Amino acid sequence: MHITEPMFLALIALVDEPRHGYGIVQEVDRLSEGRVQLKIGTLYGVLDRLSTEGLVAPDREEVQQGRLRRYYRLTDEGAGVLEQEAARLAANAEAANARLRARRSQERPLPAGGAA
Amino acid sequence: MSLLEQRYRSVLRLLPAFYRAEREEEMVAAFMEMAGDVPDDVNARPGWGEIASVVALSVRLRLGAARDRPRPFAWGEAVRLAALLGLAYQAVYGVLVAADVLAALSIGATPLVGAPESVERLMALRDLGSALCAVVAFTAIMRARPRLAKAVALLGTAPLLASQAIALVLPRPEGDGLWMEAGRMVITAAPVVALLLGFHRDVTPPRRSWWLTLAPPATGLMMLAWAEVWLALRLYESEWLALWLDLDGTAIAALVVGSAFAMARGPVPSRALGLSIAGLLLLLSRLSLLIDLYGSSTGEIATVVATQCVLLTVLAGALAAVGLRSLRSLPGAGAATLT
Repeated sequence: MHITEPMFLALIALVDEPRHGYGIVQEVDRLSEGRVQLKIGTLYGVLDRLSTEGLVAPDREEVQQGRLRRYYRLTDEGAGVLEQEAARLAANAEAANARLRARRSQERPLPAGGAA
Repeated sequence: MSLLEQRYRSVLRLLPAFYRAEREEEMVAAFMEMAGDVPDDVNARPGWGEIASVVALSVRLRLGAARDRPRPFAWGEAVRLAALLGLAYQAVYGVLVAADVLAALSIGATPLVGAPESVERLMALRDLGSALCAVVAFTAIMRARPRLAKAVALLGTAPLLASQAIALVLPRPEGDGLWMEAGRMVITAAPVVALLLGFHRDVTPPRRSWWLTLAPPATGLMMLAWAEVWLALRLYESEWLALWLDLDGTAIAALVVGSAFAMARGPVPSRALGLSIAGLLLLLSRLSLLIDLYGSSTGEIATVVATQCVLLTVLAGALAAVGLRSLRSLPGAGAATLT
């Protein structure tokens, strides 16, 4: 399954504790340092997709100040997929960093007589 | 209820009823928590980004990708089939246009492609570019590359649609193909719109075989070869035959045969509805020609085009009826639970 960035961040947002819709929006905003600001329509599309794949599940409902809050939790399968995706992204990032380090060391040759 | 909440609930009416029944209250709660306390005298409205996100969600729900909601899935498959058929048509047309332009450029036929650096030459190159984009877009979607297909389809059709729109609004002599131009615009735009709506992010299109993928360009090449035979046998002298041998005429015949085969295999709602949409697009194209022909051409041409329009109306109507009837036998849109 293809995990988009909003899906990935929503899964991370649910690792620590179950959250409701706006709670997930806030946590994604915090995790991405303001770069990803989920609209409500987008959020619920993401939650639908994650629910269909069994990666998140409803946890409980509350009524706060007359408004319905439905909380979602990360399932074990969701945690497994998140771990795999994180490992894949980390491997890609490490490959990129290794190539960039090699490129930098080629551009700046070591001084004669070896390194200090 | 505040003014902002009322307005947001109005936006949510874009969503299907089954989805609103399940999700509306929690979506409103999340939105109002995000918006904070906004007094009515500020006259606040949901932002365009929020509205766009609800529209996109509505499209994904109504043109479903998941088989566990049979009716939205059937509509989704119908639109995806119409997109594929429309893009196949454009790929065939693309081969014909590309061949014409390349042949004219190779022999320096300036009446057809204009002098170098002229506006006419630029338009000929635009047509060539659009033709190649049509072939690439169809190939990409058939080989399960929807993002590439959408990007190339938009790249190919945007300049065409822009110049067609300009041609429509400019003054022209009466009877100078105004309706045909409008019909062309519809048949240019509709498959691309169907591609953008039907192949949304929840859809994983299957990778089709190469022989199916290359069938439209191959058909275009065969039509070019057939045109040589046609010229040699002087078949163009028969006006009624010419209207059956051109691209639209060939597409009508293919639709009739294809529909017969499809219906013989049993009424699948998505297949019937998708073929009906394709028939409707061909009908709009031929109808626009018929309107332009009114009072200005021989009876034989108008009779053939009118016959084709009647055939397409009956076919598209029958397919729609079969599709809608078999759709009603499927479980309702909200059959699967959301969570």
